[in-house]
Amino acid sequence: MNQLKTSENGYRSRICTNTRRLAGWNGAWLAATVLMKFGPKSLWNQSSVFTLLAVGLDVAVGAGMILATKKYVMELDELQQKVYLNALGTTAGVAVVAGVPYSVMDLYHVIPFHAEISHLLLLMGLTFIVSFLYGTWRYR
Amino acid sequence: MKNRLKVLRAERNWTQAELADALDVSRQTINAIETGKFDPSLPLAFRAARLFGLHIEEIFHDEDPGSLATGIK
Repeated sequence: MNQLKTSENGYRSRICTNTRRLAGWNGAWLAATVLMKFGPKSLWNQSSVFTLLAVGLDVAVGAGMILATKKYVMELDELQQKVYLNALGTTAGVAVVAGVPYSVMDLYHVIPFHAEISHLLLLMGLTFIVSFLYGTWRYR
Repeated sequence: MKNRLKVLRAERNWTQAELADALDVSRQTINAIETGKFDPSLPLAFRAARLFGLHIEEIFHDEDPGSLATGIK
């Protein structure tokens, strides 16, 4: 049997490290967003200075999350990049196709509630998860 | 595109995970290539050829070998 040479810092360990780093950035962004959303009323009595600081923190952490996501995707192998990008493309398409009519329905009071951005984010998240799982299953 | 990756791997008693580690890709990718669900990029095909000590065309080949000679796909 021919022995294969494998590196200590192989693909799996690299992806595990990047996944943990990405999860950390996502958690930090979520925390910064919660602070920005609820801080003005709950923590600093709507002080504009603190609200601006919270917005700045949210944007800065968001930028870090974007860079971590980019690094994560660039280090995936070619099949996993394909699955990821297919899921991302489907998500962007669904967001546009569903988002515009949803906004119009709100505008003309077809729906009895406001079209919140959070609804769109939820739809995008679910679409991405389903598309990613489908892609993973397809090439299993 | 067809390939002999599974046969070559089996001849050497390598697992999919070991081959994946050696080629710096996921095990899922090796499986998808072996089952013909995914065609590798040229750089990955070259890495596989180097690992097995073969030419690319000894591992990967067109499903229609006449297409190159006739220019008809």
